[in-house]
Amino acid sequence: MSTAIGGSTSALEPLFAFLSYVLIQAEFVFYKIPGSHVVARYVKSSHQNDPGRTVLEILLALFAIRTLLQSRTRADNGEKHFIQFSEKEVDELVDEWTPEPLGAPLTPEEQSDLASVPVVSGANGPRPKLANSGKQVLNLASYNFTGLAGNEVIKVRAIETLRKYGVGSCGPPGFYGTIDVHTNLERDIADFLGTEASILYSQGFSTIPCVISAFAKRGDIIVADRGINFAIQKGLQISRSTVRWFDHNDLKNLEDVLLSVEKERRKRRGPLTRRFIVTEGIFEKDGAMVDLPKLIELKHKYKYRLILDESISFGTVGRTGRGLTELYNVPATQIDMIIGSVANTLNSSGGFCAGSRIVVDHQHINSTSFVFSAAVPALLAVSASEGINILRNTPSILSTLQENVRAIRAVLDRVEAITIPSHPASPIIHIHLRSAPTLSASTSVSAKPPNPATPAPRDAPSFDIAGEERLLQDIVDEALAQGVWTTRARRLRGQELVEARPSIRLAVTAALSRKECERAASVIKAAVVKVVTKRK
Amino acid sequence: MPSPIALTSPPRQDSIFKKRSPSYLTAMRSAQSYLIALSEADARARVRDSASVTSTPALSLSSSATTLSEDTVLNDTPYDNSDGLAYPTVPPTSEHIVSADHLQFGFCPNENYRYKSAHKPGTKLEVHEQDPPYYIFLTTYMSYLLLICMGHIRDFFGKRFYPALFRHLLPFDGYAPLNSDFDSFYTRRFKTRIDDCFSAPVTGVPGRTINLLDRESKDYYHTFSLTGTTTRALNISSYNYLGFAQAQGGCADAVEECLRRYGVSTCGARLEGGTSELHVTGEALVASFLGQEDALISSMGFATNSTIIPALLSRGSLLISDEYNHASIRFGARLSGANVRTFKHNNMKSLESLLREVISQGQPKTHRPWKTILLVVEGLYSMEGTLVDLPTILELKKKYKFNLFVDEAHSIGALGPHGRGVADYFGVNPRSIDILMGTFTKSFGAAGGYVAGSKALIDRLRLRGHGGTYAESIAPPVMVQILASMASIMGVALPTSSAVEVAQQHPGPAHPSQLPAWMDLPPTLRDGSEGRMRLRRLAFNSRYLSRGLAKLGFITFGHTDSPIVPLVLFNLGKMCVFHRMMRARKTPIVVVVVSYPATPLVTSRVRFCVSASHTKEDIDTILRACDEIGDVLDLKLLPGERWPLERIMNNAAELVNTDD
Repeated sequence: MSTAIGGSTSALEPLFAFLSYVLIQAEFVFYKIPGSHVVARYVKSSHQNDPGRTVLEILLALFAIRTLLQSRTRADNGEKHFIQFSEKEVDELVDEWTPEPLGAPLTPEEQSDLASVPVVSGANGPRPKLANSGKQVLNLASYNFTGLAGNEVIKVRAIETLRKYGVGSCGPPGFYGTIDVHTNLERDIADFLGTEASILYSQGFSTIPCVISAFAKRGDIIVADRGINFAIQKGLQISRSTVRWFDHNDLKNLEDVLLSVEKERRKRRGPLTRRFIVTEGIFEKDGAMVDLPKLIELKHKYKYRLILDESISFGTVGRTGRGLTELYNVPATQIDMIIGSVANTLNSSGGFCAGSRIVVDHQHINSTSFVFSAAVPALLAVSASEGINILRNTPSILSTLQENVRAIRAVLDRVEAITIPSHPASPIIHIHLRSAPTLSASTSVSAKPPNPATPAPRDAPSFDIAGEERLLQDIVDEALAQGVWTTRARRLRGQELVEARPSIRLAVTAALSRKECERAASVIKAAVVKVVTKRK
Repeated sequence: MPSPIALTSPPRQDSIFKKRSPSYLTAMRSAQSYLIALSEADARARVRDSASVTSTPALSLSSSATTLSEDTVLNDTPYDNSDGLAYPTVPPTSEHIVSADHLQFGFCPNENYRYKSAHKPGTKLEVHEQDPPYYIFLTTYMSYLLLICMGHIRDFFGKRFYPALFRHLLPFDGYAPLNSDFDSFYTRRFKTRIDDCFSAPVTGVPGRTINLLDRESKDYYHTFSLTGTTTRALNISSYNYLGFAQAQGGCADAVEECLRRYGVSTCGARLEGGTSELHVTGEALVASFLGQEDALISSMGFATNSTIIPALLSRGSLLISDEYNHASIRFGARLSGANVRTFKHNNMKSLESLLREVISQGQPKTHRPWKTILLVVEGLYSMEGTLVDLPTILELKKKYKFNLFVDEAHSIGALGPHGRGVADYFGVNPRSIDILMGTFTKSFGAAGGYVAGSKALIDRLRLRGHGGTYAESIAPPVMVQILASMASIMGVALPTSSAVEVAQQHPGPAHPSQLPAWMDLPPTLRDGSEGRMRLRRLAFNSRYLSRGLAKLGFITFGHTDSPIVPLVLFNLGKMCVFHRMMRARKTPIVVVVVSYPATPLVTSRVRFCVSASHTKEDIDTILRACDEIGDVLDLKLLPGERWPLERIMNNAAELVNTDD
């Protein structure tokens, strides 16, 4: 027995010798590393004081290594839902899989929807010629509020710019795409509004999503109106912030929501995060107008930053078209970010965000569609600058626009079969059918306040969307046959957070005379009456 | 004011007087003063030229028209050619018909400097992938470390001694900072140090040369002020692949005519009162250019991806994306709500194993089969200069049945013997790709983007894409620039030919009925000869620069046929020095330098964007500059055979034409 043990120890002797040699070598190498003595001393002394701590520290180190080695991609391997397949099984599954077609062919309704869009032959303006009928019509469909379309001065300036700059900017602003005319337009916009600076984007629609996502990040709080337009909805989605909703254009409810957010934060003792209120000046969805002074009061009271989308109101309200700030006589510096469209109201292309220099500089580096997109063509920037110049010098344009809005409203407000949710000064006028089939809201109004966490309003009235759209399209077609071009407000049904009620949208223009506006309104009125009575 | 006569499309003659714009009309008191200024400028130019001219001097009027742009002709100070940019080294003789301004589109008549961009069937895609010596990596990491330490030290003291400068980065008065000091650290402590290399303001046409507005900074690049002077520099930075960024010539004339006829805007979204007949014409032409059934045009390139991808996908779909895909694709993918998986850049093995995994596993948790799988790749990657391995992807597509979306933002117009992008380059049928997407900013000198595919799909996108309902439609002058430049790449068939027959051939010419009736293109654009010349020149310049740099010993990325040539610098600090040295040369050259986060941490790079407007001599200039700066900055790290600069310059055609 003892010999057996002695035999095994002697057999293992070379191994032990080797191990001790390795140990000595390792120790030698270890002490050659600069700073290793410090580590060794630390480990020794801590082990002496508390041997349990050494075990804990080794475990910690192992855990850290494991965490570091773990893949940070979102691969599902190793997760509990991952199923192991053999190569043959994978081949079979691949053979079996049949994808759905990428885009289903259009249904007949969708086809007629697409075909109902009139094509303008030649220049668009207040009285364009339509390609399908060859007729000249009064245009209440296109965004030409201040009548800048076809302006001869703008054309001449655009041609001059073409001859100096060519068409494309051929690069993003960071890489030789910042042309002097862009800087000029940014300065013009900032001066016009009275802000420190502004930044130009190359498409109106893509402006606000990137402005919001440049500032609001995960964990930040955004309080938004339930009636915001699609572009803002996309901005909220891409920002990944926590969104709280208040009732459409209801500032009383906004205050409640702001209070509840503050209460929630106190309860959770969360850190101070960025907080924003996002709403529109004049809402694209229905033409309602926000009470700006009250909004600013709330923003200051609860220490929120205000992002105001003036895509419709900039260039259309106020004495010279400076937007809501001019209308309410509020300094534009009170609003942290004013977003406007160069396309809708200056008849060019692009969008802007105006605010303080810090706000603007931040976007130069952090706003995706500014950094990764080519700058606006020079001739379009110059056209917009010229547009601002014209608005500045001719306040009569804005008074004509308001007169035309009043003229049209005077006729339409008296039509029984429709309701108009738009503000009396709004240059876009939405027309709803009055006799909505089932208004459940009126029957069971609950006392409970709406839930700020969901975009859907409580007791939302339900509409027969397809039916109403058909009727409205009939009205549009009838008016078009009588020489007045209007359009159904197009929506991305199924992609919007809240389905907007179907409506006809008029875009009033200063380029038509009062007489023409009255005539157009009468035509629409007649069309409404004709279609609605026919249905009955 | 435009005269009403101009509306009836005046005959275009090649006269110098046409080159005036209305602003100069008013500036010049009379035609006589203009003529005097012109003849003086011409005389000055000819005095300077006469020293070196050996061939027949051209007619005085046309020579001044070709070598001087209008603003230089009429400037009080004569254009100083000390930078060597204003005149071609080989002046045009009376045989050459020159229509372009040399500053915008270089004069390069030598037919040897042409190449046809096409993939040689059966050959592998050649990729330069070369690691530098280890000390380069080490010093690169060290420089990051140093900058981080310095940055934190400066922040520490700055917050204590200059609290006002940090106020907007810290919570203040109950507001959280818009941008915290931690989030903006990289911007403040890295980018600001070299901010003179970015966002330089320019004026004029971003063509062969570009006019920089000089600026200075007195506070270490926190703010800049313009000095009022300008510097003309050789432009190897703009996305102007085919050189259509021009203020003169057939395309610009068509755009001017369009502005007179259509104005600036179409006033609205496509579905809401903003559709013009030009859009209908344009979409048909784009579809036939690409060889697809139908196309949809959007007013912004970025928005094409960010608004169309969400319309294609929904929950239950999977988007497979190359890791280096553009921000707009990632933006659109995030909006779509679809699952997103990425594979290693251009690595077909990684793609195939990912495909096998996702198809066999199905959707996460539920294991239901995916509704659709959309593979999104770019034709030409804008930071890498790599081409997509399209043939392999199409093989995988047959086996795995996914849908394919190719973003040709950079490759359309720039690649392929007919300029039709990667499908043309590899000689594959474009209809085997489900969706082709691209932009008009780069090769066509315009703006906006398109998607093309089957009629059913495009009609669906017209209704479901966000842009059709809510975004402004593309502006008429931009649309016409696209129409004119595209038609000149395709060439226009004779009016007598049958429209159906023309439509059937791909890649074939455009039919006159596909263009607006009023558009009157000059003969060289109409017959496609100029478009072909541009394609061949771009292909030559791309290969020449990329191979020339490799022969000099620089490490470049990407494929040799790519018009994007990234030269890798590695060290962060070399970026700004390279940029400044290039700009300070006798012939100033502007370059784009990029680093993290646009590239991986260690591979900071210079990105050259070659253009058809460059002459062979321009590429020589760039090679010479790189050669000299490369020696100073220790950039020649490529092992292997090197050629001296003279040998490269003298054997340019041979260098380009040899196969790999």
